[in-house]
Amino acid sequence: MRRSLSVILSLLFLTVAIADDKYEKEIKKNLQKIDECKTPNDFIKLANNFERIAVAEKDKWLPYYYSAFTYVLASFADSVNSRKDIYLDKAIKFNEIADSLQPNNSEIYTMKGMISQARMQIDPMNRWQKYGTDATTNFTKAMQIDTLNPRPEYLIGVGTFYTPQQFGGGPTAAKPILEKSLAKFEKFIPENEIMPKWGKEQVVDYLKQINESK
Amino acid sequence: MKLLITLSFIFILSSAIYGQTKISGKISDESNQPLPGANIYLKDTYDGTSSETDGTFSFVTEEEGEFELIVSFVGYQSYSEKITLGKKEKFLEIKLKEESTELGTVVISAGSFEASDENKAVILRPLDIVTTGSDADIYSALETLPGTQQIGETEGLFVRGGSANETKTIIDDMTVQNPFYSSVPDIPSRGRFSAFQFKGTVFSTGGYSAQYGQALSSVLVLKTQDLAPKNLTAISIMALGFGGSHSQRWENSSMSVEAGYYNLGPYFQIQKQRTDWDKAPEGFDGSVNYRLQTSKTGMLKAFLSYSIGDLSMRFPNLDSVSYKNYFYQKSKNFFVNSNYHDILFDDWTLFAGYSVGIDNEDDEIDSDLAGKDDVFHTAKVTVSKNIFSNSFLTFGGEVQNLDHKSFFSQLNGSFNETYLAGYLEADIFFTNDFAGRIGVRAENSKVIDQTNIAPRLSFAYRLGTYDQLNFAYGRFYQTPDPSFLLYSKNYDFENSDHYIFNYQYIGSERTFRIEVYYKNYGKLAKGSVQSYPNFNLPQVDYTSTGRGYAKGIDIFWRDRETFDYVDYWVSYSYLDTKRDYKNFPKLATPTFTAPHTFSIVAKRWIPEIATQVGLTYSFATGRPYFNPNNPEFLGDRGKNYQNLSLNASILTNLFNSFTIIFFSVDNILGYENIYGYNYSTDGSRSAPILPPALRTAFIGMFISLGETNPY
Repeated sequence: MRRSLSVILSLLFLTVAIADDKYEKEIKKNLQKIDECKTPNDFIKLANNFERIAVAEKDKWLPYYYSAFTYVLASFADSVNSRKDIYLDKAIKFNEIADSLQPNNSEIYTMKGMISQARMQIDPMNRWQKYGTDATTNFTKAMQIDTLNPRPEYLIGVGTFYTPQQFGGGPTAAKPILEKSLAKFEKFIPENEIMPKWGKEQVVDYLKQINESK
Repeated sequence: MKLLITLSFIFILSSAIYGQTKISGKISDESNQPLPGANIYLKDTYDGTSSETDGTFSFVTEEEGEFELIVSFVGYQSYSEKITLGKKEKFLEIKLKEESTELGTVVISAGSFEASDENKAVILRPLDIVTTGSDADIYSALETLPGTQQIGETEGLFVRGGSANETKTIIDDMTVQNPFYSSVPDIPSRGRFSAFQFKGTVFSTGGYSAQYGQALSSVLVLKTQDLAPKNLTAISIMALGFGGSHSQRWENSSMSVEAGYYNLGPYFQIQKQRTDWDKAPEGFDGSVNYRLQTSKTGMLKAFLSYSIGDLSMRFPNLDSVSYKNYFYQKSKNFFVNSNYHDILFDDWTLFAGYSVGIDNEDDEIDSDLAGKDDVFHTAKVTVSKNIFSNSFLTFGGEVQNLDHKSFFSQLNGSFNETYLAGYLEADIFFTNDFAGRIGVRAENSKVIDQTNIAPRLSFAYRLGTYDQLNFAYGRFYQTPDPSFLLYSKNYDFENSDHYIFNYQYIGSERTFRIEVYYKNYGKLAKGSVQSYPNFNLPQVDYTSTGRGYAKGIDIFWRDRETFDYVDYWVSYSYLDTKRDYKNFPKLATPTFTAPHTFSIVAKRWIPEIATQVGLTYSFATGRPYFNPNNPEFLGDRGKNYQNLSLNASILTNLFNSFTIIFFSVDNILGYENIYGYNYSTDGSRSAPILPPALRTAFIGMFISLGETNPY
């Protein structure tokens, strides 16, 4: 009896393990595709892949988060403003679901900030006041939750990089922020292979660009 | 052959073993255009794919049995279908319906201009209001839109042949009795509310919703900001005075306090005035703004403001060479607007508001004392319920009480008015392309003891993704102005009927709008009331027998695409109007209307110096003025009006704080505008009504303390 129970239990764990294994494999497979995406449509397709995983898994925040992330990237890749806003509406929707599944998560707050940044970029003159503040609030919160997360500072640094000097932006102002982010990236070890780890190469690129321009 | 059979056998076998089913098909929109990038999947599985450029898709699944196939795509309603997976291939042709909340639904918009960040299909952004014109005043920004007149001698929006009091200002759904600082003869006063405190503006030049009443021509609907985004202290230093504000943000609430002092004296020393000021305008303004988020959807707003100011001046007495008239004014205003808004039981929206305005004005005109006291209370409740898809039903009621007292020397007048209104309105989306708003409003006025019922209709039909046709009809009532009610209560409601037809195109960077209208006035109040200047016309009895009409065309074009960093808009209005009201002896074109009005606003953002430069040019043909020597009443026409103004906002950093330096000059070309003429009692002498100065320059600095990076 006891033995059959343990067999059943181990079988049960095995199926769970297999299911989990499939989940991780799918996420990993799709994460590798990010770098291959070029057109907005490529990103949308990838976002769709994450959405399918998210909807099937129901209670996992990560696929929702990645779907939101790829929608933000789609908005960067597209050139038509009204479409960019529609992608970001979708990104917000998925990131909100992620937030409800995993409250108080530094990565999700970083994503909120990133979406606000993307919103602002569409029409900076009219939007900086609202979305600039939103971005700052969310990045601050992300840093409070996890002081070791290098991504909020990466995004603040990039935002500063593109902000005109008169507003306290520009490469010189961005440099120390990006350096701080890089220092955190050096020490950053993601919990597992599918957890967010993006951004390091970009930080290195930006710093290279800043140093070369001097 | 044998090989083929074997192969196909193996294939069948293998697909039977693995139970693979191929699902393919095509996704298109309702007009059969293929939709690339749609997400097609089996619910609760990982199986699915995205549609290709031609809308086709194909994937295989190992699942068997009953499954739900889902298709989702940004901007479209999700589609789902139960399918049974067996050994057979599935081919599905699926049409997606556009999601109506996204860009691309018809919008009911006849007669109105909207400025908002929240809605996408709008003509203006809130920032446009702040950065247009030379004085950051909401009303002067709106005067660059078609349908309005360029009136330099008095405040107010004169819309489509209507007088200034035919336009009502509504803040958070509550009517404001006195949205301007107190009136001074021949000088326009500014709006009392800062453009910065509003997140949305709807300026309707006709055919507006049954939710609003007591305006024969137009309503300006302003929505205040929600929670202050963060703690912020700011100071402003201007040529006219200085001010400070602080916003404090807590988790679910915020409070902003603002105070300002102005004194035009020093400025008038530098900028010589034509007006003979005895005491330059000086005053104090203060306000408190409180916000409380009561739940995820609930918001409580309270706004309180107080202002006090005085001024005095002398102006020529046309009946005497040596004597000058003296005018002194002291005014106080207290205003409270509080309201609560929430969504209950999923689809019921509740709004409840209460507002009070107390205005007190003490004047001295030569040796006579004059004054005015207004106490105006409003309470309003509106309920809105979603009935199906995007359609909803709105109903509610409103009570207003106005206690009006005025006196001039020994003459006293007063009345107390209680106004009741109820309204019912349905917004119905018949399809994504065709929508209508059907409403009715009933009103009762105690002071004139009259009741009315006013129908309102507005329809919109979408022609393509970006363009649509609109039609509106409405009947509007207004209780005669207090100046009449002091003489007689034996009046009926004044009324007007609006017929509006428009075509509009709103692309992401270009907007075009053309609107034709006809407005018929009935029962306008007639009677001779004491007003300046005195026309010396025959005494007219107090009756509701006035009438009039206005018809015209309004054209608007905005383009943000053609020139880099340049955003410009052009407005043109044609107006043909006549009316018989007040003490008019016959139907005539009133003094506040010009047949042709044209304006162009251009703004350029110069990134290198972080500066926005704006130019506004306005032109209007000459308006009628009253000349007692001309046997034809209002038969004279003034000269054309022209004004070119420039403004610049320089964004910079001062003392480590984000700073905006604002600079503007009015009438750069120094064009001599004449707004009309005043005549002596016997008509033998006249003087032109001129702006207080040929040019007006303004400079100001707004510093957000400790705010280094607005990003």
